[in-house]
Amino acid sequence: MNKSNNLATLVLALSLFLYPTFAHAYVDPGSGSIIVTTILGFLAAIAYTFRKYFYKLRKFLKMEKTKKEENRSLDD
Amino acid sequence: MINVNSGSFRDPNSCVYSIESKEGCKSDIYRGISQEMLKNFKKLETEAFYKRLVDEKRVVETKLCDADDKAAKSIVKNGWDGVLRHEALPLISYSYEWPFAMLKRAALLHLRILTDALEAGWTIKDSTPFNIQFNGTAPIFIDIPSFVPLGEGEPWTAYRQFCCCFLTPLMIRSHLGIDHLPLSRSYLDGLPPIEASKYFRGFSRFKRGVAKHILLPAIVEKRIEAKERDSTPAKDRSKQKVSKQFVLALVDSMTRLVKSLSVDVQHTDWSEYDKTHTYIDEELQEKKDFVESFIQTEKPACVIDIGCNTGTFSNIAARSADLVIAADGDHDAIQKLFLNESKNSKFNNIIPLVINLANTSPNQGWAGKERSSFESRVKPNGILVLALIHHIRISSNIPMALFLDWLSLFNCDIVIEFVDRHDEMVIKLLQNKSEQYLDYNRGNFETELRKRFKLVTEKQLKGGKRVIYHAEPN
Repeated sequence: MNKSNNLATLVLALSLFLYPTFAHAYVDPGSGSIIVTTILGFLAAIAYTFRKYFYKLRKFLKMEKTKKEENRSLDD
Repeated sequence: MINVNSGSFRDPNSCVYSIESKEGCKSDIYRGISQEMLKNFKKLETEAFYKRLVDEKRVVETKLCDADDKAAKSIVKNGWDGVLRHEALPLISYSYEWPFAMLKRAALLHLRILTDALEAGWTIKDSTPFNIQFNGTAPIFIDIPSFVPLGEGEPWTAYRQFCCCFLTPLMIRSHLGIDHLPLSRSYLDGLPPIEASKYFRGFSRFKRGVAKHILLPAIVEKRIEAKERDSTPAKDRSKQKVSKQFVLALVDSMTRLVKSLSVDVQHTDWSEYDKTHTYIDEELQEKKDFVESFIQTEKPACVIDIGCNTGTFSNIAARSADLVIAADGDHDAIQKLFLNESKNSKFNNIIPLVINLANTSPNQGWAGKERSSFESRVKPNGILVLALIHHIRISSNIPMALFLDWLSLFNCDIVIEFVDRHDEMVIKLLQNKSEQYLDYNRGNFETELRKRFKLVTEKQLKGGKRVIYHAEPN
């Protein structure tokens, strides 16, 4: 994770102390997913772009020419 | 006879039917589908990403049945517009029977398929581990109606379900060391974020992924609930759009997170049993020969090795059986077996499962029928019960007669090893116990065994401290 993600993580974690808990009744518990996925998608897109340019730069500096095959493995 | 799958009712666009085959472990699997799903499937099967996933055996092979197919004709009478036929799988298992590594691999399969689908303009509308099964150690996605075209600006619809069902149990085991299996067994729809957030206290909240995927959703859900409670109308959020790049980036970030999660195999009594057992090499070889002889003579298609530890005898059975279900209550032993099989399996026909014999997976879910018991999902032709009965009687307090009754329900041959009272492991078990289980002796065991089974052959092991029997149903 990059530093901006770590900071966001810290803020989000601390803010959890501010809210009480409730049991769900009529409100669909998944209705907040759009908010969550928008925030996380935005953060992930920033990290993704950063990584993409970082790898391009590294490739340029190392003068790599061979194209890496797509990794479709389900292992680490 | 066509049976409706009792767990297939949540999706109004399809329903699974099965026809029991006369031989082997597999049934023929069909799915009645609606007009909408029929249209989707016809388009889906022309898509390159889908064909690739089927070729890679990551999605179950599925064909649209001809109108004159006998089974399809009967299924269409139930009001369906088309019928699919799926490749039959050897066993249905559930995520609450999978060790960490199996759940992780299933999660990565889901994310792989979702990424491919998104890039091709499709998505997967559900994200439950019940849609994934194992063929040996390879996970395979079975819920074809989950594939739907991606709407414009559509978010990752099943993100919350993915977190509840896959990510949270993985993080609970990896970050906190808490056994995720009883939680997965109780929360069939996954552990909701508000409930999951209670497990993460103190510094564990700063572990990778916790704040983003558990604490943030918990906060948002609590806020919405607080704002829209009682008679306050719920806000319409269905029209909110998310960029496809955001969705792909989130799925990519989730894949990295899941890949980063890990657990170490601890040294338990069973995870190192292949090195710590009390047999000397020659005696162990005699036991292996006995099992090998049973397997080669009877050639059972489906074998259950109960109390398998790290699978020494499952591997012997796997040489000729179509399917070996390797079951043990010890998570780490099964995790080790799964990882070994993933790297070294010759036949890819062992499915390792975490099963506590004193509390096997029950019938549960809606009306107690949605998820089936372990016993009703397996159809063995042979069962290995090696060095287990002393644990059943002395550790779990289950009388030998009841255990043999349970074994006889499967109506198949068994290879069972009796560990007598003077064996050092039984002496250790009885140490410091006020109850000395005097009924636990070879004479009583054989009497109870003969009431339910016919002895075929037997052999003494470890100088008579143990006896191994091959018995067939009476």
